[in-house]
Amino acid sequence: MRLLLVEDDEMIGAAAREGLRQEGHAVDWVRDGVQAEAAAANGVYDLVLLDLGLPRRGGLAVLRTLRAKGNDLPVLIVTARDAVADRVAGLDAGADDYLVKPFDLDELAARVRAVLRRRAGRSSAVLRVGELEIDTAARRARWKGRDVQLSAREYALLEALADRPGAFLSRAQLEERLYGWDEEVASNAVEVHIHALRRKLDPALIRNVRGLGYSLAKDE
Amino acid sequence: MSIRHRLIVWLLSSVLAGGLLAAGVVFFQARDEANELFDYQLRQLALTLRDRIYMPTQLAEVLQGEEALDFVIQVWARDGTRLYMSHPQLHVPSAVQLGFSAVQTDQGRWRVFAIQQRGLTIQVAQPLSARARLALAAAWRTLIPFLVALPLMGLLIWRLVGRELRFLESTAQDVARRTPESLEPIVGGAIPQEIQPLVAALNGLLGRLGHALAQQRHFIADAAHELRTPLTALRLQLQLAERAQDPADRERAHAMLREGIARATRVVEQLLALARQDPEAPVESEAPVDLAELAKSVAHGEEPAAAARGLTLAAEVAGPALVHGDRDALRALLENLVDNAIRYTPRGQVTVRAGRAERDAFLEVEDTGPGIPAAERARVFDRFYRGEAAPAGGSGLGLAIVRRIAERHRGRVELLDPAEGKGLRVRATLPAA
Repeated sequence: MRLLLVEDDEMIGAAAREGLRQEGHAVDWVRDGVQAEAAAANGVYDLVLLDLGLPRRGGLAVLRTLRAKGNDLPVLIVTARDAVADRVAGLDAGADDYLVKPFDLDELAARVRAVLRRRAGRSSAVLRVGELEIDTAARRARWKGRDVQLSAREYALLEALADRPGAFLSRAQLEERLYGWDEEVASNAVEVHIHALRRKLDPALIRNVRGLGYSLAKDE
Repeated sequence: MSIRHRLIVWLLSSVLAGGLLAAGVVFFQARDEANELFDYQLRQLALTLRDRIYMPTQLAEVLQGEEALDFVIQVWARDGTRLYMSHPQLHVPSAVQLGFSAVQTDQGRWRVFAIQQRGLTIQVAQPLSARARLALAAAWRTLIPFLVALPLMGLLIWRLVGRELRFLESTAQDVARRTPESLEPIVGGAIPQEIQPLVAALNGLLGRLGHALAQQRHFIADAAHELRTPLTALRLQLQLAERAQDPADRERAHAMLREGIARATRVVEQLLALARQDPEAPVESEAPVDLAELAKSVAHGEEPAAAARGLTLAAEVAGPALVHGDRDALRALLENLVDNAIRYTPRGQVTVRAGRAERDAFLEVEDTGPGIPAAERARVFDRFYRGEAAPAGGSGLGLAIVRRIAERHRGRVELLDPAEGKGLRVRATLPAA
């Protein structure tokens, strides 16, 4: 998944980005409210991690503007403000969840997964598509009942496809979900990962239609 | 001793003293009057006797019945033989001196009047104690109303004072019931005029206490909030270090963790520095501090930090600039300013100056950084305020510490534009020694 991290503290930002990348997410990091608003508007993100105490424009204002424009991008507020009134204000402004600093990387990752799951209309952490079973919490895939060893990118790619089985995702869309701004992307990176997935699972599982992109076969 | 007891003792003593004084005056007046009166009586009696006695043989007849009086009458013949004595059982003065006299016998003091007539000496004597008795009786009559009034007055004072002091009692109970947090002013229905200054002073103190308490609370809340940020970073950095699979990742995570610990340490140190600069604490100054020397010393000490960021750091001092002050605190002031300048200046140079300006001495740090917009200049002295362009690692406390140290030295801090070019010039002005 591609996440927008809005955090003005250098150290927290750097550590959170690193931790979320290890979870297989593509993370873009901005440091103030104005940049956050601009980035959130471009529509490539699956979720925003939003700090409230931001320079130039406060997190709550960013969130309200976003919702006022009809943008229902999932937002997880991550802030040091722990007063009940702040939480209520944050959730009422349209946040999907609220996490108070100092937090744990595991908890952050779990909440990100939970928000994404809820938004996808699922309540279970396990995705099932035919014989494919993806445990989004443990970040493990099973094919026909046996564990499949996947790299972080391969897993992320598979999860992206399994999220909406049958729907086509273009190479550009997949790249966006896999890589942040500041990551080098080899021109054939997606093809390489798709190839690896087909080899480890089933060559027929992932279809490729020229001009449309890739999709996960719904059945079989 | 309570006001009530004190008032009762003093008021009743005064009343008693007044009564005694009055009785004393009455006593002496009554004695004088009695003296006059009794002397007159003595004399009149003697004269009457003289007129009635012609012959010694008549004596018994003339003096018949006079024994009943408390006057002692004696009559002597020319040859000194006593012819008559009204109270033979008494030992009364026999010495004869014509006119009035006072005589002491073993039966007390006597007032005596003697007169001579046809060879007879007639003497009338009266014990002085009679007069004293009279005077004492008069004094006693004067004193009695006072003595009767005393307990009544005591009771009255007790009740009245109690009623007047009820306000104090109710206020005391009100204050005693308070929690340490309830510092609202004391309000009474009718505060007696004499107690108003006390209540006003107490309310003033409560107000200041409340203000100080609120500030403290605010500061602690701010501090806790500010500590949360470095702690959050530390927690994340530690988790990254724990998760790291290969040595390169681990080394990178450890480097981040070290940086995080350094920042958290700095925030705590700065908080302590700020807490130590209690604005109420007086500055202890034994020897005067030379700001010029301090500027050179701090510039020397901060040189490596500046060099590490590619900046040149120079001290410009004219002559000695002495101030009375706390050397360590002034050093902390200057170090904070230089630290800030190094932190915020991407390239160029930082200049430390010290000198005299009229009756003041000053410390100045100028940099070639981005400067601070005029709109932000008032706020940067607030605790934990960090500018929009603030680089990582700052505590947001530096300028708050600087200002507090300057204020403790009865000085001030200003943010100015540099003489030329872009940048910031921070100037601390302190009274010169």
